[in-house]
Amino acid sequence: MPHDVTMPQLGMAQDAGKIVAWLKAPGDAVAKGDALFEVETDKATMEVEAQAAGYLTGVVASEGDDVPVGQVIARISETAKDDTPAPATPPTPEPASDALPEGKQITMPQLGMAQDSGQMVGWLVELGAQVGPDDLLFEVETDKATMEVPAGARGYLAATLAQAGEDVAVGAPVAILTAEAPANPVARSADDAAKAQALAPAQPEPEAAPAKPAEAPKPAPKALLAEGGRILASPKARRLALEQGLDLSRLVKAGHPQPYHVSDLEVLRAMPEGQTPSTGTAQASRRLTARVKRPELEAFLNWAQGQGVDDTDAALAGLLGQGHVQTLAIERIGHARSFAILRRLSQVAVTEDMPELILRDLRGSFVQNVELGAEDIPVLTLLPKGKGLTLVLECAPEQLSAEAAIALLNTVAGRLEQPLRHLL
Amino acid sequence: MREITLSQAVNEAIAEEMRRDPTVFLMGEDVAEAGTPFKVLSGLVEEFGTDRVLDTPISEPGFVGMAVGAAMTGARPIVDLMFGDFIYLVMDQLCNQAAKQHYMSGGKLTVPMVLRTNMGATRRSAAQHSQSLQALVAHIPGVKVAMPSSAYEAKGLMKTAIRDNNPVVIFEDKLMYQDKAPVPEEEYLIPFGEANVKREGSDITFIATSSMVQVAEKAAETLAAEGISAEVIDPRTIVPLDEATLLASVKKTSRAIVIDEGHQSYGVTAEIASRLNEKAFYHLDAPVLRMGAMDVPVPFSPALEDITVPTPEGVAANARKLCAGEMIYAA
Repeated sequence: MPHDVTMPQLGMAQDAGKIVAWLKAPGDAVAKGDALFEVETDKATMEVEAQAAGYLTGVVASEGDDVPVGQVIARISETAKDDTPAPATPPTPEPASDALPEGKQITMPQLGMAQDSGQMVGWLVELGAQVGPDDLLFEVETDKATMEVPAGARGYLAATLAQAGEDVAVGAPVAILTAEAPANPVARSADDAAKAQALAPAQPEPEAAPAKPAEAPKPAPKALLAEGGRILASPKARRLALEQGLDLSRLVKAGHPQPYHVSDLEVLRAMPEGQTPSTGTAQASRRLTARVKRPELEAFLNWAQGQGVDDTDAALAGLLGQGHVQTLAIERIGHARSFAILRRLSQVAVTEDMPELILRDLRGSFVQNVELGAEDIPVLTLLPKGKGLTLVLECAPEQLSAEAAIALLNTVAGRLEQPLRHLL
Repeated sequence: MREITLSQAVNEAIAEEMRRDPTVFLMGEDVAEAGTPFKVLSGLVEEFGTDRVLDTPISEPGFVGMAVGAAMTGARPIVDLMFGDFIYLVMDQLCNQAAKQHYMSGGKLTVPMVLRTNMGATRRSAAQHSQSLQALVAHIPGVKVAMPSSAYEAKGLMKTAIRDNNPVVIFEDKLMYQDKAPVPEEEYLIPFGEANVKREGSDITFIATSSMVQVAEKAAETLAAEGISAEVIDPRTIVPLDEATLLASVKKTSRAIVIDEGHQSYGVTAEIASRLNEKAFYHLDAPVLRMGAMDVPVPFSPALEDITVPTPEGVAANARKLCAGEMIYAA
């Protein structure tokens, strides 16, 4: 990546530097640390070293030019032939019609130790007029004294940002001096200036490195249920719950955010006995996804048929449920069947028993993503994803520990990718 | 009731005790004609003469060592240490000698000495004259530590300190010398180890020492307007510490912030917070917070100095979070 060469700030009060000489020519090979150009400020002349190795390209400032600090004047590229010129000016947003002129900001000075604002008594220079550094620019009144403040720099009074009588915080801008005579000098009140600052568009952020595809940020989980079912509660809340026979885990199941304090016990007392409200909140559920790029289900189902298993659902239930559950339900849009899982695939059969796991097969649907929250039993959803599949496992924390949920999803994904390997 | 400054209260306490007991005397740098840089002792040399109000050379270890010896042999010295920061210079005399004589002599010797000194930042006195070093002394068994929070406490605690047969260090906040408070004309003493409930409340307890009592009271005032009821307790002496009053309050409110102007780490706030944790754990509905001075040398820059010490706004902000059940530190 090319490296921008900018005008460095060599002194505290320096805002521009003059390029005395280029010590490398365009196209020259440059090592990090090589003297690149010579710069003159009002105090000194200095050689500026290259901050990267490469070839000097895109030189846009010539010897003798005065360049503002921070401006890009050249580039160090990987090849000598990079001829895109460096931007002549830093990329600043186009100023709006009533935007403030660019120039040196004059701020409200601190005249006393304990002063935090000053009152603008009046301007001593007409708007747009030229001033020298020692010319008195405005008058300020503090709680102790009234003082005249010099401009401190040469330029034209291009903008006044406070009117007589207004209080301005120490350090806040009160005026802008420009090097050139301003075409449209601006006079604002301190109020306007504050508003304008609040409305000003944020500086364009450097483009984020295209490292990861943007993923929708997940809301931070409020209920941090630590592993092992540890509930976050204050010592007093815990003691009172114990004394009064209240079960804090009912608050967890209700999705009530932790940590619990004494006030949360009232919520718990108000909850009807023995009835846990819906666990459908995202806060109290686990959701894991896995991706299978090339499921080999067709080959598997053909093989199963060869083994005498004609019911493809039974074959699928056997494949995915074995070793995990005794009963598994397969749901599709419109119908559902439960299967008892036995060791041999040919023995897997429809059952009336409550399933331990639901396999929600949405491969043939248009549904791209689910986030339905935990249900009464864990649900594993199969979704189409190109030529592959997305697997989503959703369950409540008390149904499957994090470890068990990960293991289940991981094994199921592995079996979908290589079903025959699992069986053999 | 009449109101007098903290400075006058200290002066009165010492004068009364010197009139009552001829073995009481004062010594230190600039205590006689100068009456100390803070003018706390003005007028005492006129009444008691230079035999009982002694100006010493500028040698803290020297004159504190002399006071320990005088106390061991029957006198009741009040030693003036011009700045609390100079405690470092007298650590051996105070902590190795004064604090241990009674114990090591099998009870045969006592050291009835008062070391009065000061503490407190925000006086623009920079890092070597702004420290609050009460924790250093409170750490050592055998020394009592009093921290008056107003003129009333300053007088009552000083009189008790002078009559105590153990070494006592009194830390006066140097920014409070001109603060006035009602002080009775008639004699009174404030016993050590008795905290003062300055303001009653039900939602949170502020335990604050010295000038931090004012900080806590201001915070409590702000919070009252928002419907949060804060109790403010001044322990008055940190050694001995009135645990019973502190624990009773915290068991009532379930929440506490401990505020002291010493550095936060390994400080007075840490000690008190830890005791609440040990002894009132099952009554706590929020973590006990410490608020001390930042762990940096006190800056000379006024803007920086002011933010290194606890403020009413900071105390109120923390109290709001604790009362709302918000976690100040992540789980």
